[in-house]
Amino acid sequence: MKKWNKIGFMFIALALLAAGCSGEEESSADGKVELVAWAWNVNVGALEDAIAIYQEEHPDVALKVEDIGRLDVYDKLATGLAAGGVGLPDIVLVEDDRIAGYLEAFPNEFANLSELGFDKHKEVFPDFKNELTSHNETSYAMPFDAGPVGMFYRRSVFNAAGVDVNAIQTWDDFLEAGTIIKEKTGVYAMPLDMYKDDPIFRMMLSQLGVFYYDEAGNIDLTNPKVVQAMEMLKQFGEAELLKDVDGWNGIVSATINGTVATIPFGVAYSGTIMDQAKDSAGDWGVFLMPAFEEGGNRAANIGGSSFMLVESSKKKQAAYDFMEFFTTDPEVQIIALEDYGLFPSLSTVYDTEAFTSDVQFFGEQKIWTLFAEEIKDVKMPYYTKDYSLGLNEAMKAQASMFNGEDPATALQNAAESLADRTARDINQY
Amino acid sequence: MKNKAYVPYFFIAPAVILFSVFMLYPILYSFVMSFQTSVGGIMEFNGIENYKRLFSDEIFLKALKNTFILLIIQVPIMIFLALVLANLLNSSILKFKGLFRVTFFLPAVTSLVAYSIIFSIMLMNDGVINQVLMSLGFGAIPWLSDPFWAKASLVLAITWRWCGYNMIIFLAALQNIPDQLYEAADIDGASRFRQFFSITIPQLKPVILFSAVLSTIGTLQLFDEPYTLTEGGPSDETLTIGMYLYQTGFRYFDFGYASTIAYVIVILVAIMTYFQFKIAGDSE
Repeated sequence: MKKWNKIGFMFIALALLAAGCSGEEESSADGKVELVAWAWNVNVGALEDAIAIYQEEHPDVALKVEDIGRLDVYDKLATGLAAGGVGLPDIVLVEDDRIAGYLEAFPNEFANLSELGFDKHKEVFPDFKNELTSHNETSYAMPFDAGPVGMFYRRSVFNAAGVDVNAIQTWDDFLEAGTIIKEKTGVYAMPLDMYKDDPIFRMMLSQLGVFYYDEAGNIDLTNPKVVQAMEMLKQFGEAELLKDVDGWNGIVSATINGTVATIPFGVAYSGTIMDQAKDSAGDWGVFLMPAFEEGGNRAANIGGSSFMLVESSKKKQAAYDFMEFFTTDPEVQIIALEDYGLFPSLSTVYDTEAFTSDVQFFGEQKIWTLFAEEIKDVKMPYYTKDYSLGLNEAMKAQASMFNGEDPATALQNAAESLADRTARDINQY
Repeated sequence: MKNKAYVPYFFIAPAVILFSVFMLYPILYSFVMSFQTSVGGIMEFNGIENYKRLFSDEIFLKALKNTFILLIIQVPIMIFLALVLANLLNSSILKFKGLFRVTFFLPAVTSLVAYSIIFSIMLMNDGVINQVLMSLGFGAIPWLSDPFWAKASLVLAITWRWCGYNMIIFLAALQNIPDQLYEAADIDGASRFRQFFSITIPQLKPVILFSAVLSTIGTLQLFDEPYTLTEGGPSDETLTIGMYLYQTGFRYFDFGYASTIAYVIVILVAIMTYFQFKIAGDSE
């Protein structure tokens, strides 16, 4: 009996092996092309809707979108690229903060879009997006959504506490308002995964026009502006205005159950709220991040993603044609916004009706206009190839800070550790 | 009878081929990679630079320290608990043995990620465990955000997951201990405790060694629990070597250095196992 089991197992294993090895076909005899894309979440729906429109003119092109989780896309992509371009799709969605990392680590594995003619579209995208998708003056990714930051707030909570949103101009104002709200309603000001993620810190950096690194690629964590952001965060922590949540799900559940008054996040979060907190429709509103000083910059960006094409793909041209359509066609981008909450970086759509109308869910506020205006003022963050290392160190500095360390010391330690890990210089101030 | 010497080879071929492709090749190739570094996307040899780098890499040393703290605290606690449980469940006066055995073994069949997520939810600031503590009049414990408690949470979770597994192994071994030994001890007037320490434990020595070796290897490779529960935080206080390996390879794309870390784990496992055999003193 046992022996037969083993033989059976062997056959199954061999069959699996054979199935894994059966190579992908190039474009088949009848001229039909099936493109494969890796994406996650709402992006999948946007791609599928777009191919349906594209097929009206190009019936021979099909698209298979493999919906794998965000981090799984990165793991599979890294493995495939390290193996020299094996088992990869034609099209892959990559977040902007990761693009530089991939391009530096695998410079020859992504299709050169400047060569394919994408540079002519540069003027319809914001500057920071063009910079993020280029490497050595060459374009390697097609800009898709952007993440202008908004403070998504609950009108009812602010009303109950008698706080006027328009009076909140600076972070100090917001600290004061948050304290009043906490006293009167028991609701926290913002949710944050305090020991595992640093989104609010990153948004503050973007707002201040600084990042983990500067333009020259030096470590900039010791910059007084960076310290200022961390100190502000500490004040919110000490005033117990931050609700410590567990990861993404923690933020979403805090949003739904109304234990936080505002959620600072990229515009895409509007989609999450509309999707997850349906019964609070109309109770939401958006204001821009408070400035660090009176009249200071209130525009910031977090997240956003772009599409890259794999160089080793045998259907590179077909993939390029479709993705050029996808990223530059207004109709597709309006669908992405209206149905999926993905805010386009394509500026040609900003004056269309879809963008200038009131949004009922957000208390009849013209939130898309707000974001479209904001995006013009967004400054370029220097992610570099060592973004993940910077993120890791910044996160640790934040955790130490919440565990009682002085912000400047925590950042100094982080900068030194980062210097060891990246062989970059630390800016002296 | 004709002697067909090739027949056995034919039969073991599939296993050998699969093993070579999926185990041997990666093992050998990662050894080569542990001496390489990526220069502009191409792997180039850089001698023993990676190994040198390891010993001045503070994060690696911290991960190593964390792993050993977990090892030294968690493995003995778990083995002892498993022994006690196995002994109790082997007792002739206990009713519903089957039910208890299943209950204690059940954690071992749950998926690593699933149980870690459940623990992370229970251990949250306003999670069920803190709510119980507070309703009993204690303060809330920062389970996942304080350096000490984060390690304690890991110990708690891993012990819950693996204790039953070791218990079953001990239980099986216990049933092989001849009853005469206990009868003789009873006649000599030895207490239950004395019997446990003077008969049960010595008789189980090879099995305890086996469990200890397996648990040591498991702890050195620990990944799922810290990844899900704490992501190595706060500030790397629960970062394990396994997690650092993963981050280095898949987050920072440094596959050469990640391979070096992997080989250091191999060497550590070998050394630890050697000492465990040495200390246990079995010449077999």
